[in-house]
Amino acid sequence: MMELRKSLAGRIALTAVATVILLFLALPIVVILVTSFSNNAFASFPPEAWTLNWYKALFADGSKWPAALSLSALVAALSTVFSLIIGVTAATALVRSELPLRSAVFALVLGPLVIPQIVTALGLFLLFEPAAMLGSPIAIALGHTVLASPIAVLILIATLRGIDERLEDAAASMGAGRLTIARKITFPLAAPGMIAAAIFSFITSFDEFYISQFLSSVDTVTLPVQVYNSLTFEIDPSVTAVSAILIAFAILALGLVALVRWIGSGRQQSLLSVENTVGVANPGGEAV
Amino acid sequence: MVYLLVLFVYPIFSTLLLSLKDADGSFTLHWYADALTGVNRSVLFTTLRISAETAALSLVFGFVLAQAISRLKPLWAGLAMLVVVVPHFVSALVRTYGWIIMLGDKGLVNETLAWAPGAPYQLLYNELGVVIGTTSMMLPYTVLLLYGVMRGVDRRLLAAASSMGAGKVTIFRRIYLPLVAPGLASAGLLSFILSLGYYITPALMGGPNQTMIATLINQQVTKENQWNGAAAQGVILLVLTLAGLLLVKAVTSLGASRKKRSAT
Repeated sequence: MMELRKSLAGRIALTAVATVILLFLALPIVVILVTSFSNNAFASFPPEAWTLNWYKALFADGSKWPAALSLSALVAALSTVFSLIIGVTAATALVRSELPLRSAVFALVLGPLVIPQIVTALGLFLLFEPAAMLGSPIAIALGHTVLASPIAVLILIATLRGIDERLEDAAASMGAGRLTIARKITFPLAAPGMIAAAIFSFITSFDEFYISQFLSSVDTVTLPVQVYNSLTFEIDPSVTAVSAILIAFAILALGLVALVRWIGSGRQQSLLSVENTVGVANPGGEAV
Repeated sequence: MVYLLVLFVYPIFSTLLLSLKDADGSFTLHWYADALTGVNRSVLFTTLRISAETAALSLVFGFVLAQAISRLKPLWAGLAMLVVVVPHFVSALVRTYGWIIMLGDKGLVNETLAWAPGAPYQLLYNELGVVIGTTSMMLPYTVLLLYGVMRGVDRRLLAAASSMGAGKVTIFRRIYLPLVAPGLASAGLLSFILSLGYYITPALMGGPNQTMIATLINQQVTKENQWNGAAAQGVILLVLTLAGLLLVKAVTSLGASRKKRSAT
């Protein structure tokens, strides 16, 4: 395309339209952050005066938000643990061993990501309702794991593929046992990927709405369901403050993932650089 | 893996069974007949219509944005991609709420357009509101997909055509478009599929005429205890999704063979 539209007017027009589209993506988020400090929390922009009242109201007596927040945190923590267990075992099996029906297993892993969440939620409801498990944090966490574990599996597959197997071979050639290799080589190299998988599992569960909505009861309402309820039934201005906190949380999580990735790539480089100084590395074989 | 079999495949299977069971447990298709007639049929059509509108809009916006980003310098391209990706990780509920604040009678959009005749405009609780909302949810997908496709286009092909005297329009139409067309098709199909099962945005930003199939499923389960009907609608939604996915797969393999052919 570079050759096609070099005219200045064309470039300016394209840049302008692209900027508008970027604003289209970013503005809803910016507006929430700004409105959460506004004295008029309802659909009025720009704000006339500033206040912290909505944040204070979150923790006032009788507020439903602390309970919803702690339930969501509990559910997300549980489902992170479940997802990591599934993720590590499934990714190891898919990458390191010759699995029969490999593509079927892979399709099973990807399934929950493409199937409408409402269908998954409905199925889980039909599973847990007869078991009288509706409203149980464990049931909600198990449900969220269906959505979070595929993401963990995908991240961990990429991580394991990125580890230079020559490092493990080298350790083995020097007499290290399988456990030692796993503990001293594979685990430290896979740790950043595992942390990233944990963060994404946590945030997937923390933000999940459909499954929570179907599996929650009156007493167990997760944060997203409470947000939805405040937007539909009861008008609660604190919802802007909650939304702003959720945005900050998502950005923080993404920042953490980026940081962990950066540290991780440094770690593998430093292990490989020893090899490079000895002069035995092949130029094409650099790990990513 | 067993985990996913128990908690993912089995529930979907039992949904399928439930949709075929009558009150006394005998086999029936009448839940499907219900789901495809009367109000339910119009909800199905609304779902298809809104999904198509969303797919078309996010495809056009996604194409323009990906095009612009692919021509930026790496630093700016990275920043622009950040603006695309970060919203994707913010809860859809929260972003929908942001739109509700922005599109209200005294919201940012109407305040900005206050000078225009007919303002304030009704931008919420109608189809326009829903499509604005869902489009912004699908846009990150189309931008990411199309950006990848555009980066993969072999510039030498364009240069070769130009050296043989082809004009800009010809190059775009005969070389560039056929190369990115499979990517466009799968991006459009993907956002269509993802919109089909969407619930949050249509329920919060639409009116009664924008009821989508997912909203209906939710109502039947939580309010009317009509599980069989909900199951039948769930299965219909699932079949539509799988059909769409098969199309995506077909289009992708078509694209791969086309690319190979043009490079030889």
